[in-house]
Amino acid sequence: MELVGFRSRQAVARLVDRLVAEGLVTKDPQGKLIPRAPNGEVPLLGIVEAGFPSPAEEELIDTMSLDEYLIENKEASYILRVKGDSMIGAGIREGDLVIVERTNTPRVGDIVIAEVDGEWTMKYLRKRGETLYLAAANPRYKPIVPKEELKVVAVVTAVVRKYARRR
Amino acid sequence: MQPLTLRSFARAILHIDADAFFASCEQAVNPTLKGKPVVTGKERGIASAVSYEAKARGVKRGMTIREIKQLCPDAIHLPSDYETYSLFSQRMFAIVRRYTPDVEEYSIDECFCDLTGLRRPLRMSYETMAARIKADLEHDLGLTFAVGLAPTKVVAKLASKWQKPAGLTIIRGTDLHLYLDQVPIENVWGIGPQTTAYLTRFGITTALDFARQDELWVRSKLTKPHQDIWHELRGTAVIPLEFGEHHAYQSISKTKTFTPPTSDRDMLLAQLSKNVENACIKARRHKLEARRVSFFLRTQDFRHTGYELVLSRPTNVPSVIVPLINTHLDIIYRPTLRYRLTGVVLSHLRGEGDTQLDLFGETLRAERVRRIYDGIDRLDAKYGKHTVFLGSSFPAMQGQQHTGDRAELPRRQRMLLQGENERQRLGIPLLGDVR
Repeated sequence: MELVGFRSRQAVARLVDRLVAEGLVTKDPQGKLIPRAPNGEVPLLGIVEAGFPSPAEEELIDTMSLDEYLIENKEASYILRVKGDSMIGAGIREGDLVIVERTNTPRVGDIVIAEVDGEWTMKYLRKRGETLYLAAANPRYKPIVPKEELKVVAVVTAVVRKYARRR
Repeated sequence: MQPLTLRSFARAILHIDADAFFASCEQAVNPTLKGKPVVTGKERGIASAVSYEAKARGVKRGMTIREIKQLCPDAIHLPSDYETYSLFSQRMFAIVRRYTPDVEEYSIDECFCDLTGLRRPLRMSYETMAARIKADLEHDLGLTFAVGLAPTKVVAKLASKWQKPAGLTIIRGTDLHLYLDQVPIENVWGIGPQTTAYLTRFGITTALDFARQDELWVRSKLTKPHQDIWHELRGTAVIPLEFGEHHAYQSISKTKTFTPPTSDRDMLLAQLSKNVENACIKARRHKLEARRVSFFLRTQDFRHTGYELVLSRPTNVPSVIVPLINTHLDIIYRPTLRYRLTGVVLSHLRGEGDTQLDLFGETLRAERVRRIYDGIDRLDAKYGKHTVFLGSSFPAMQGQQHTGDRAELPRRQRMLLQGENERQRLGIPLLGDVR
């Protein structure tokens, strides 16, 4: 009665009857009220724990591991160890690890891994006219124009450099 | 000819088999090996897998180094790199699981999967699914696969074998008879030489002959596993796929060859001790305990001797088993012989923990030892296998298992990245150096 400001119990009873008729509440056998959601269901949101809420735990669900961050298609990803300085202009140094993803559809401008004379080569994939070729990111290296088919097997998706720590 | 069934795919079972798996993995990670005859298993002195280039030269699995050299002098014989093979294997199963959770990991390079009922959710035919799975596998792994699609496991296995390497063979229920007519009965999965001989006496020589027998005959003449094969050949799937990561183990065995051969008792005990530790690590990982342990030795001229121990209480702890082997080793050990292999088998396995208490406090003592091994397992998980091992294994842990030609380590173990060590490496296949 305090809630709605009615003077009589009768008025409250009438309001309750209206709510029941609208399907917003139901009465149990003792006549006590059971609230219902308008669509007939009470959504269960989960278990509520008493005490101060900790938003930290919920937020952690949305984090990813470094593995997940660096690797998109896990089953198609591989690592290679970098030798030489042919890609120094792209910021890839000797000793770095590159994570690569196998693909049949490299795009011009990608840093790709190609098979040249039985060895892995990492270069930019470039195109002149209709010819695809490989270009280093270092002026000391000449572009590689394949005599036959250019065998690109993967594209570089990430670079990992681990610095040795003195302890 | 009358078909065996009128339904194309009452169930849709796929069998996937990697072509020349170990050798192909080596070629996938190392471009210098592409197009060349590659043979793995150098550390065992035999061919454990043979690339298609080597197969074309007549090299077969199980051949010795000398036989390989004779047939194919330019064969490249590599030490097995099980670490890399396992990574490729896990990826193979993961790729298949993109389509269906129902995958049976049949062996390191083979699996079955059940595609039944996925046409609508994936919006494609079973044939397209099979082709897509095969294309994904070949794209992501850089290996080729032979794939067979059929209404049952037995027929799917025949289908994948139909065209090797890199084949995709689809056998619809309605076409079963056309294929089975061309299959000799002994090529059917699960039919051994004994059964073949038995069936031949009834004039059954092809898979179709067998499938055409009537049910009463099959029931009266054959055991349940062979009755199942009969059903499966007729297009009715009765053999379930076995899910879960692995099959239940009947026994766990660990054997290791070593060079040079030795007569040294301490060295033999150390080798046995190392095998016990490896077997126990596996038993603890699968939460199993052994009630029997057998150990055996093989001499240079391939003679075996062995002995079986019955344990008073089941265990998976090496420090219980090794002293027992030590006291019983002299029953089979002859100081005049030279040995080149030791082996250990844990058998009569059962689940951990269902132990009875005894009167003399043995169980409680064992419980304390078990707690020590819980700690050791945690150390091994953090720092790599065999971080902590028994003193009795020490001589076998020193140096390498082999000397000379067989001592060569697999490429991955010779190419450690910064921060890796001989026990722990990155769980991503390494393709080597790139310039």
